[in-house]
Amino acid sequence: MNFESLNTSLQFLKPEIAVSILLVVVVLFDLIFQNNKKALPVISITGLLVTGYFIIEQFTLNGYAFNLLTADAFGAFFKLIVALSAIFVILFSISSSEIIRCEDRQGEYYTLILGMVLGMFLISSATDLILIYLSIELLSLSSYILAGFVKTVERDSEASLKYVIYGGVASGVMLFGISIIYGLTGSTNLYTINSILQSAQLGGFTFIFAGFMVLSGIGFKISIAPFHFWTPDVYEGAPITITAFLSVASKAAGFALLVRFIKITFFDSMSESGYWILLNVIDWQSLLVLLSILTMTLGNFAALWQENLKRMLAYSSIAHAGYLLLAVAVLSNEGLIAVLVYFSIYLFMNLGAFFVVMLIANKIGSEDVDDYKGLGSSVSFLGVALAIFLLSLAGLPPTAGFIAKLYLFIALIDANMVTVAIIALLNTVVAYYYYVRVLKNLYLVRKEVEMEPVGVSFGNKIIILLLLIPVLVFGIYFTPIVNLAKSSIAFIGF
Amino acid sequence: MLTEFGKIFVFFLTAIIFVVIALFVAKLIRPSRPTKEKLTTYECGENPEGSPWVKFNIRFYVVALIFLIFDVEVVMLIPWAVVYQQLGFVGYLLGAIFLILLGVGMAYEWRKGDLEWARPKIEEPIFTKSIPPPEIQKKLTLTE
Repeated sequence: MNFESLNTSLQFLKPEIAVSILLVVVVLFDLIFQNNKKALPVISITGLLVTGYFIIEQFTLNGYAFNLLTADAFGAFFKLIVALSAIFVILFSISSSEIIRCEDRQGEYYTLILGMVLGMFLISSATDLILIYLSIELLSLSSYILAGFVKTVERDSEASLKYVIYGGVASGVMLFGISIIYGLTGSTNLYTINSILQSAQLGGFTFIFAGFMVLSGIGFKISIAPFHFWTPDVYEGAPITITAFLSVASKAAGFALLVRFIKITFFDSMSESGYWILLNVIDWQSLLVLLSILTMTLGNFAALWQENLKRMLAYSSIAHAGYLLLAVAVLSNEGLIAVLVYFSIYLFMNLGAFFVVMLIANKIGSEDVDDYKGLGSSVSFLGVALAIFLLSLAGLPPTAGFIAKLYLFIALIDANMVTVAIIALLNTVVAYYYYVRVLKNLYLVRKEVEMEPVGVSFGNKIIILLLLIPVLVFGIYFTPIVNLAKSSIAFIGF
Repeated sequence: MLTEFGKIFVFFLTAIIFVVIALFVAKLIRPSRPTKEKLTTYECGENPEGSPWVKFNIRFYVVALIFLIFDVEVVMLIPWAVVYQQLGFVGYLLGAIFLILLGVGMAYEWRKGDLEWARPKIEEPIFTKSIPPPEIQKKLTLTE
């Protein structure tokens, strides 16, 4: 390796390098100024903003780094989502009572969040199975620790332990699948595997088995139905900031990986109307449609019975993973645009819902739906914000959530998958019930105990508005995100 | 003809038969005079006592964690050192970055106090009453 090739490769890795340097800086700052914990979030956010600049630069790039990573607009889009949600989560952490209680370990907290961000950046641009595995592990190991960050609370430790055990099994299965694929094709590079699959008649049961094993590892990250067991427990137990981060960023990275894995490895040709014709090795479409219907039905129906709001949002995020998987299952450019639009809206509404739940939990010390009875008048601003976020998650017309679902259904109808579209539509109807139940408790139920009005600090109001305005604006004026999504579905090499 | 797996199977069979024959022949030849000492579990010359599921001191884990840094360092540096000549200055830079990151890890452990050999705190006795009691002290000062 010489300087020129290293230099050209590093050109495509600027966001990753920026996050790595930021991570080291945060550790060193925490070591040198041990008593100055207030500066840590400021440093992290500044660093992430710089990273964001490099990510925006990547939208126009097209190239490989070390034959392991690609720099393309698709990866940049997901990196932007990850970086944005990381910034919001760090902003949440400043006022989270759970995190403030662990004053002496704040340095580790921000370092581990940045570790997760680095892992997700690598996941969303990796095209080599070994790097895919390593970056998933980097993401997982950081999130295992963060899930149990408040180690004095039993619920947190339980969440962390369950996450480690399920995660260990999932990554083991995935590694086995990767080893089988390597054994069959002799390569770990997705592009090479694709060309081998195109020339040789591989396939049969072994390859399907291996593909399913890799899918189970990715499915664990995005919590689709047979691999979702960890989600409710971990989401309920982990600190709310981490739950919000896992539900948005970790899922985004997982979907980026899933799309890249399917589209690069099994790609045959592109039809004129933008449908991908995949190699006849694994019937991805039927498999993904089956899994997504299972996922959304299970997520929505399980959410109906939940008393804890965090747990309910966990099941709702499983259901949303189902919708997103359906958009992937269309296997077309239209579907991919739907995924990107969905994610950019899901980011704001889901983070917003978790943030409001966190602020209310800070005050009343509970996340139970029953404790929200008659709170509407005492949490005036928070209540309205929560109502808008939940209605957007449900997909009601004036909010952005409707646009996300609209694009999904357009892609489905365009692909003639009407039956599936109807099942998804019925699912959204079921989802209305549990979102609206929270609002009913807030506004229509009589108060049991008198409560003082819950105030919100000025900074938190601004954070909520930063999340609320996109949810409302994108519901009416959504051309910019759709255009951004359209311009960022181009993959390198295709 | 044997396949490659067939050869492994023959190898397995040979190993099993070898052990069975050795044990059987030994049983025929050796004298049998069991004593209590001979029949107990062998534990490196120690008397086997209690259950093996004892709690290890937390200090051992801290030492193991610190050891990990240097262990990983050596494992990663050996393959790097083997091809170092072909990598040139770029290779030198990569190795340097790796060592610096490890150094940060070491500094972290040092600063957070993990290199201290954690000892149980010895509680110093607290005396609530002054000795001798104040009344007697007064008397003592008066007599002086």
